[in-house]
Amino acid sequence: MHVVVCVKQIPDPAVPGALDAYNTLQREGKLILDESDSYGVEMALQLVDAAGGGEVTLISMAPNGEVSGLRTALAMGAAKAILVSDPALAGSDALGTAKVLAKCVERAGGVDLVLAATESSDGYTGTVPAQMAELLSMPALTFAKHVEVADGKIKIQRQTEAGYDVVEASLPVVVTVTAGVVEPRYPSFKGIMAAKNKPVDAVTAADLGLADQVGWAGARQEITGVTQAPARQAGEKIEDDGTGFEKIVGYLEKLKVI
Amino acid sequence: MRFAFTTEQLELRDAVRDLLRRECAPEAVRAAWTNDTGRAPKAWAALAEMGALAVMAPEATGGFGLTEVDAILIAEAAGYAALPEPIVDTMLIAAPWGLVQHAQSAVVVVPESPCTAWADSADVVLTLAADGVRTVPASDCSLVAHTSVDGARRLFDVSIPAGCEPQRPVADAAVAFRRGVLGTAAQLVGLAERMLTMTVDYAKEREQFGVKIGTFQAVKHHLANARTKLEFARPLVYRAAATMAAGDRSAGLHASMAKAQAGDAARIAARAALQCHGAIGYTTEYDLHLFMKRTWALDASWGDPAWHRRFVGAQIL
Repeated sequence: MHVVVCVKQIPDPAVPGALDAYNTLQREGKLILDESDSYGVEMALQLVDAAGGGEVTLISMAPNGEVSGLRTALAMGAAKAILVSDPALAGSDALGTAKVLAKCVERAGGVDLVLAATESSDGYTGTVPAQMAELLSMPALTFAKHVEVADGKIKIQRQTEAGYDVVEASLPVVVTVTAGVVEPRYPSFKGIMAAKNKPVDAVTAADLGLADQVGWAGARQEITGVTQAPARQAGEKIEDDGTGFEKIVGYLEKLKVI
Repeated sequence: MRFAFTTEQLELRDAVRDLLRRECAPEAVRAAWTNDTGRAPKAWAALAEMGALAVMAPEATGGFGLTEVDAILIAEAAGYAALPEPIVDTMLIAAPWGLVQHAQSAVVVVPESPCTAWADSADVVLTLAADGVRTVPASDCSLVAHTSVDGARRLFDVSIPAGCEPQRPVADAAVAFRRGVLGTAAQLVGLAERMLTMTVDYAKEREQFGVKIGTFQAVKHHLANARTKLEFARPLVYRAAATMAAGDRSAGLHASMAKAQAGDAARIAARAALQCHGAIGYTTEYDLHLFMKRTWALDASWGDPAWHRRFVGAQIL
């Protein structure tokens, strides 16, 4: 079984982020593997194991030829990676990104399953996997909290507010997995040492035949402004003169909590 | 000659740091104060699985055959997390000699430390004496418990069975001692870094007289003094590791210099941290205690700074 995992390399969330002149996140320094993608990588490794063979290919789009996050995922056990890094990709919107990743899936070839997180931890559009599925003419099975593959079919438990739906499809498909679907393994020392020698196929937008459709040129959306989230309003202070509890009861009644 | 760590060494360290950040958060260290063994079994098993404990183990037995330079980065990360485990004894001493496998642990009894931590839950006990190194299954030893300032460190006087002959020569006892001293110094550097980081974060947040306490010169001085001391101690630890890995004859001298300075730096960091935190620093529910008390315990283990200063003095005069 050949599983492709979409991997985003993001600025370390522990470090305060900054915006550039176009109101997009600065991505100049070292980037790390988005934690939400580590679930997809682990799931892919487990599915390949369960299938008794196959391999996991990573695909990523990142500036400056960044591979730090890919290395982490390769160290976990993925076999190889395709990295699209090209100044022409700067400013790509979600659809532009989906086009690039869809081309990567085609480039990987013979893919049975494409895994992605439900959304990235730095962009949060949550639209790329479904767009990619559409471009690839594959079904999109989203918000999976459990995944099983057998006899050319995939069955997932799709997380809902009330519980979960069971959804089935024939391979190949695009599946998004929720955080916590599996417990990602730590990269082992052996894996870290081996990751250095695993192939990373570095390509440009032109290599994928997308030169004019991505980046600022191809983007159908722009970020016109960014404002601070409104600060929390100060609450009402009540001095307790022995009847404070009545005020609390009154407040809760007003909310129809009691 | 290149003195900087390689990218791979730093990647291995980062992997250990990341693991400990998740598996050995302060809650896990606090839990070790009250659990059966004083240890953090989940973190230990994960470190073994990762291969970190076998960093210096021979390649023939599935280890990585790396050196003290690689191991101290792991020991430093363990100090930063206050990992309550005999990682120095196991990773730097027992594993390179093939005396432990996978998640097994070892403790080393040294005359310079009054007691031995976690002797009741280890698999193997090593004793370093004037006639060589003895290795015995921990279950054959008799133990007398003592109380430690650090609640996670279960301390014991360890007696090995009578008539047990040394299995390794006296030169190996010296190697083991140096490695233990070095690893403990690296842990102290990690502890100092953690306490300093915690305190700087606190000073940027805590307000008094309407301003952040970090703006007060007296607070800045404490923190700057602790930082300076730490940055002077760290290179000594790295040098000791490099000379030890190179088989240099000065390795023992360098290890003692490193331990004395790392101990001083960590003690000063602990004191600055306690003072700058104000009253909250005195409450045992606050995480700072976990790091301060480990610092005091390790500073006194494997020879305290006075012991190492005397040793250095005797060597160079």
